[in-house]
Amino acid sequence: MAGDAVARERLAALRQTIARIEGRAPEHFQEKQAPVAHPDTAGAQAGSGFRGGDGARLLPLGVAALDEALQGGLPLDAMVELRGEEMRDAGAVSGFALSLCARLTQEAGEAGRRFFFWIGERMVALDTGLPHLPGLADHGFSHARLLYAAPKKIEEALWLAEQALASRAFAAVLMEVRGNPARFGLTESRRLSLKAREAGLPLFVLRQAGAEEAGSAVFRLRVRPAPASQRRLGSGSPLSGSLGFPVFHLAVEKSRLPVHAEFFLEWNPHDRRFRTVSPVPVSRRAPENPVAAFSASADRPDRAREMGHVLAFNGAFNRAS
Amino acid sequence: MRLTALDRLALAAGLTRLQGLAEAKAIRPGLDVHPADAAADARFLAAIADWCDRYTPLVSIDGEDGLFLDITGCAHLFGGEQALLDDLLRRLTGFGLEAHGAISSFPGLSWAMARHGAAGIAGEEEAERIVAALPLSALRLEPELVARLEKLGLGRVGDLIGMPRAPLARRFGPALLLRLDQALGIEEEPVSPRRPVAALSVERRLAEPVTGEEDLRMLSMRLAEALKPQLEARGLGGRLFELLLFRVDGHVFRLQAGASSPLREPKRIASLFSERFQAVHDDLDAGFGFEMLRLNVAQADAYDAAQQDFGGERDRSESLAAFIDQAVARFGRDCLLIAAARESHRPERAGALSPVFETGISVAPSVSPLPFRMERPFRLFAHPEKVEATAGVPEGPPVNFRWRRTLHRVLRAEGPERLAAEWWLHKDGETAPPRDYYRIEDEGGRRYWLFREGLYGSGAEPRWFMHGVFA
Repeated sequence: MAGDAVARERLAALRQTIARIEGRAPEHFQEKQAPVAHPDTAGAQAGSGFRGGDGARLLPLGVAALDEALQGGLPLDAMVELRGEEMRDAGAVSGFALSLCARLTQEAGEAGRRFFFWIGERMVALDTGLPHLPGLADHGFSHARLLYAAPKKIEEALWLAEQALASRAFAAVLMEVRGNPARFGLTESRRLSLKAREAGLPLFVLRQAGAEEAGSAVFRLRVRPAPASQRRLGSGSPLSGSLGFPVFHLAVEKSRLPVHAEFFLEWNPHDRRFRTVSPVPVSRRAPENPVAAFSASADRPDRAREMGHVLAFNGAFNRAS
Repeated sequence: MRLTALDRLALAAGLTRLQGLAEAKAIRPGLDVHPADAAADARFLAAIADWCDRYTPLVSIDGEDGLFLDITGCAHLFGGEQALLDDLLRRLTGFGLEAHGAISSFPGLSWAMARHGAAGIAGEEEAERIVAALPLSALRLEPELVARLEKLGLGRVGDLIGMPRAPLARRFGPALLLRLDQALGIEEEPVSPRRPVAALSVERRLAEPVTGEEDLRMLSMRLAEALKPQLEARGLGGRLFELLLFRVDGHVFRLQAGASSPLREPKRIASLFSERFQAVHDDLDAGFGFEMLRLNVAQADAYDAAQQDFGGERDRSESLAAFIDQAVARFGRDCLLIAAARESHRPERAGALSPVFETGISVAPSVSPLPFRMERPFRLFAHPEKVEATAGVPEGPPVNFRWRRTLHRVLRAEGPERLAAEWWLHKDGETAPPRDYYRIEDEGGRRYWLFREGLYGSGAEPRWFMHGVFA
């Protein structure tokens, strides 16, 4: 019995070592071993919010099912990749990343005063635009501060990301790349991921119009746009045809758990909170509060003209003369 | 084609300046002729002037082939005036140049001595004796004026010195007396340096030339360390630093690095230059090595020393400033941008990005929001992109639009929000067409910001543009 205990001890120690090397929370094994404890730990994680087990800092997204798939939330000292499949999905990808930053600002009182650093390759900025301050405020990013870099080449972007992480002056670093550049391969991604762990800062890699690629990110989330939810009237019923809060179609592509989960998340920029919504397209629903496509005339309806009073005399005269 | 310049051999062969080329070739068939290139000559002279920075920071270019060096207070560093002159001429001869030099108290006198074979050092009291013996061309006069004076039998400067001044001025103009007085030191003559003089500078001469980047980095660190006490004594911090690298063969490299806030920490100054070394890596040809380095503070500001606190917030803002300086030193000033809110309803102006190096990292005072506005996209195109849109009714939102060769079908639209041009800013603001902005969602759930520019029935057909992307 004693030998058994020693062996178990050693096994646990080895598992912890492996977990440390892989950079994940070691409690996870215990969860699996003792499923009874699962709700407790999940509850504790959700309750403690900002801090996960073993001192690992986590950013919970506030959606129970998603946080469970992410084992408590997105790690705040690692590289997380957000991938968009097409260039025109860039709005959704960067919007989701900014929502994460906004949540980070809200969760962390002290870090909220720090700058966010957004590195956007010049070519991506040409394709999808530059950050716009009033729009950022509308997206829930109002009190945060943003420093934007427009490097010409991917090497410069990598250097900037690395130095920014090393300086530890930022709350988070966002790096936007286009496609799957050869210069940003497994080695570079591993290097950045180690830097992020060393600095204890989150690094979000926004891969616009990129394919799935083996990388060193702890999580890879695929972000697709989804129809926005409708604006709510005072009574709580939706206003037909209106564009309310943005919705993201999120899929966990790479994670420590072998799950493939998809979520439709609505982002509320006022409360800075995510909420799951049903993915039913708006157009299929019956309109609840229909609005006329064209507004009524401000003055009065144009009166019906009497028929047959006006003839095309001018044309006839011109031809005759 | 005429000869513009001749070397010693050619002069000995009896050729003269401004001689026709054909004539010269007839005299010496084996003549070696190179086309004149005034611009290259000027560049070469500027390079020599740069090199002369090693003697004094006050160097100015004189005409096509001369340099003035103001060595006031510098001579003792080289072991006296004679030693300085010898060193300068010896080094220039070493470069394969034929140079003449003279040291005196007045630029005009030095000019006359250097160009008319009276090389050496002259004191103030000797001025009249030396100048009197020189020909009139030593006075920097127009050649026509010299010819007129010579026609009158005035061959030497000494002939002019004793003459009554009023008739001379009346007959030959004020230039003659001005030049004479400058040569004699009666009239002050300032020498204006080519480059602004640095507020502070430290230099290091090396016994053995260095080539390696690592050595340069180490030396710039040493220079920065030597600079620190001087900056501290003056209560200054550098905003713009300049590192001069003097190569053995006389070439001088200038590297500039700016700081976003006044700086005196040697480590940070050195790290700025190590970024610059990285950035100019290929252009910095060490050749046979650098024999001298100088670090200038080209621009300095008051340094506000602040007490450290335990919170670490100041640390963080300092590391942010250090990061910005580093990135700017490497990639240039418009690499890092910061969003600054402005009081404007025009989207292009309201949230324009500006280089952080100029505006600083302090957050702009919050701008009072417009009383009512629709949501703005968080990504805005630098230039609105033209789209082909089809609207259900002329003034209505589009039904579909083609953007970047892709057809988007519009499912929902909100708008319009009419934004007019800012007539108080632009000359054509009053006549510029207004824009009607729509928030649009296509069938894929992507949200865009489109606008229609112009009004129906006002001449030009309204056009549609894509201006931004929503989340």
